[in-house]
Amino acid sequence: MLMSVLDTPRILVVDDNQDNANIVRQYLEVVWGYSISVAYDGDEALRVFELERPNLVLLDVMMPGRDGWEVCRLIKAQAALHETARTAAAHQAPSPVRVIMVTALDDISDKCQALQTGADDFIEKPFDLAKLAATVRRNLAALAHSNAA
Amino acid sequence: VIEEPRVANLGVAAHSPQQADVALPSVSATLDALRAPAQASGTLVILYLNFDRYATIEEIYGWEKLDAVLATTAAELRHRLAATPWRDAVLAANAQHDDDFVVFHVGGVAKEVSEGDVPPNIIRDIRDGIITRLEQTYGASIASLFDLYVGRAVIRIDPKLRFERQVYRGIREAASNAHNLEQQERRQLLVDLRETLRTGAIYIDYHPIVDASTGRIFGYEALARGTLRALRRPEVMFEVAAQLGNIWELSRVCRRRAIEGMRELLQPGELLFLNVDPHDFDDPTFTPADLATSEPERVVLEITERVAIKDYARFRDRLRSFRDHGFRFAVDDAGSGYAGLGSIANLEPDFIKLDLSLITGIDTNFIKQGLVESIVGFANEQGAKVIAEGVERAAEYEAVKKLGVHLVQGFFLHRPKQFPNKLERSLRRP
Repeated sequence: MLMSVLDTPRILVVDDNQDNANIVRQYLEVVWGYSISVAYDGDEALRVFELERPNLVLLDVMMPGRDGWEVCRLIKAQAALHETARTAAAHQAPSPVRVIMVTALDDISDKCQALQTGADDFIEKPFDLAKLAATVRRNLAALAHSNAA
Repeated sequence: VIEEPRVANLGVAAHSPQQADVALPSVSATLDALRAPAQASGTLVILYLNFDRYATIEEIYGWEKLDAVLATTAAELRHRLAATPWRDAVLAANAQHDDDFVVFHVGGVAKEVSEGDVPPNIIRDIRDGIITRLEQTYGASIASLFDLYVGRAVIRIDPKLRFERQVYRGIREAASNAHNLEQQERRQLLVDLRETLRTGAIYIDYHPIVDASTGRIFGYEALARGTLRALRRPEVMFEVAAQLGNIWELSRVCRRRAIEGMRELLQPGELLFLNVDPHDFDDPTFTPADLATSEPERVVLEITERVAIKDYARFRDRLRSFRDHGFRFAVDDAGSGYAGLGSIANLEPDFIKLDLSLITGIDTNFIKQGLVESIVGFANEQGAKVIAEGVERAAEYEAVKKLGVHLVQGFFLHRPKQFPNKLERSLRRP
C-alpha cells in the first residue's frame, strides 16, 4: 500500500526565489511527472507540509525568517511524531519524509549542519537540472527501499 | 510469550522509528497491571538499571540511535529474563523516553526472593547478553558505551497505603542503591589509578591501519589500556586521571609504553600513531626528546579536533618543534563538527582521521558520503592522507574506498593486537 503512494511521489519545493522554485517545479512536474507543491518561505513550507504530507522536500537553506535548517528540524520532528502515533495505532511500516537541503557552494560546515539537523541529502547551488533529478531519484529510491524493508 | 527482538535483523539500518513499539512503557503506565498481583503477593522486588554512558550515544550519534539502542537493550533484557525465575517480571522505562529502566518482580515464593536477593548470575547474564547484542547490532564502538549499575529494593506492599507511593518510594531506594554502587566503583577507580601510575601498569593494544588500495598494514594506532580491569577502557582511565589532576603523568606513561612497544613489535617502515591530548602540549616535559625514539619520522601524533585550542600561535610553535624533529601529525575526529576545515588546515596535518560518526552507516547516508568526499578532496589539495576509522562492515569499507579514502582502520579488517608474549616482558621491566 505504501509503495503505491510512491507511484506518484509528492514533492515540496521550498525557495524564497520564486523564479528558481517555478523552474524546478516545471521541470520535475513536466519531465518526471511528479506531483509538486511550492512554498516561498519557511512558515508556508510548514503549512504545506502539514497539509500535503509530501514524500520529499527540496529545501533552500538561505531564506529570510525561518531558514532551511529550522524548517528541516521541525519537519523531521513532526514526521517522527506522526510515525510514532501511526505505528502505535496500526503497526504499519513507517513512511518517513526525505529532506534534501539546497546549499550554496561546496561548504563543508553546511554539510556538517545538514547531518546534525537530520537532513537526508543535499545539492549545491547552482545545480543543473539533470543533477537535481538524479538527487531526487536516489532519495525516492532510498525511501522505497526503507519502506520495503 | 517473549517478543523476539526485531531490531536484531535490521543491522545498521536499525535507527528507523519503527521500533518505537519495542521500547518500554513508562513506570506509570505499568502500575495498574502491577497492582493486583503485587497486593496479592505482598512483596515487590524492584531493580533499577542505570545505563551510565548511554547519554554519550545520543551526543555522538543522535537521539534516533539512542532510541534504537534502548529498544535493543529492552528486547535483550526481556529475552534474558525469560530464561530465569524472573520470567514474569515487568519492565518499564523509569519515565517516558528515559534511558534508565526499572524491573518489577512480584515476590511471593519466599525462597526465590529471600530478602530480595536477585541471583547474581541474572545480572551478570543480562550484562553480557546486552553487550553482545549491541556489538552484533551496532558494532563495537557503540557497545563500548555500555555501562550498567543495578540497584535493588524490596518492598512489602501494605494494602492500607497508596500503592503508587509505595512503588515510587521503592524505585527511589533502588535508584539510590544503583547510585551508591556507582560511587563505590568510582572511588575504587581512583585507588586503581594511583596504583597504575605508581607501578606503570599500562599495556598497549596496537590497532592496524590498512592501506585501502593494497590492503597491507600501513601502521598501528597505539591504544593504552590499564592492566587493572576497571581501567581497561582508556576513556575511563583518562577521565579518572583528569579528576585526580594526573593527566600529564598518565599520558607520559602511555606514550613511553607505546614507543617501547613500537621498537619491539612493529615491522620496519610501519608507522606508529600516538594519541596526544592538546593539553599534553602544556606539559613542559613533553618534548621531542621525551618521546625517546630514534625514528621520529615513523611516529604520527594524533591530535583530536574535539578539544578547543585556546592559544593557536603558541600551539603551532609547539607543533613545529616536533615537526622539525621529523614527527608527523594527524587530526583526529575530523568532521565531528567542532572545527571546520579551516582550522584543520591551520595545523597542516599529514593525516586527517575522519570522525567515527561519519563512517557508521556511510553506505546508506548520502550526506556522510558527500562530507567524506569533500574532506578527501581537501586532503588531496593539502597533500594529506585521509584515514577512515571505525569501519565495521563490508559495505562501509566499500563505500569509503569508493570515496577515495586512503587508509582504513576498523574491526571489519583487524581487531587491535595485544602481542601477549612480548607484553609480559615489557610489563616486568622496571
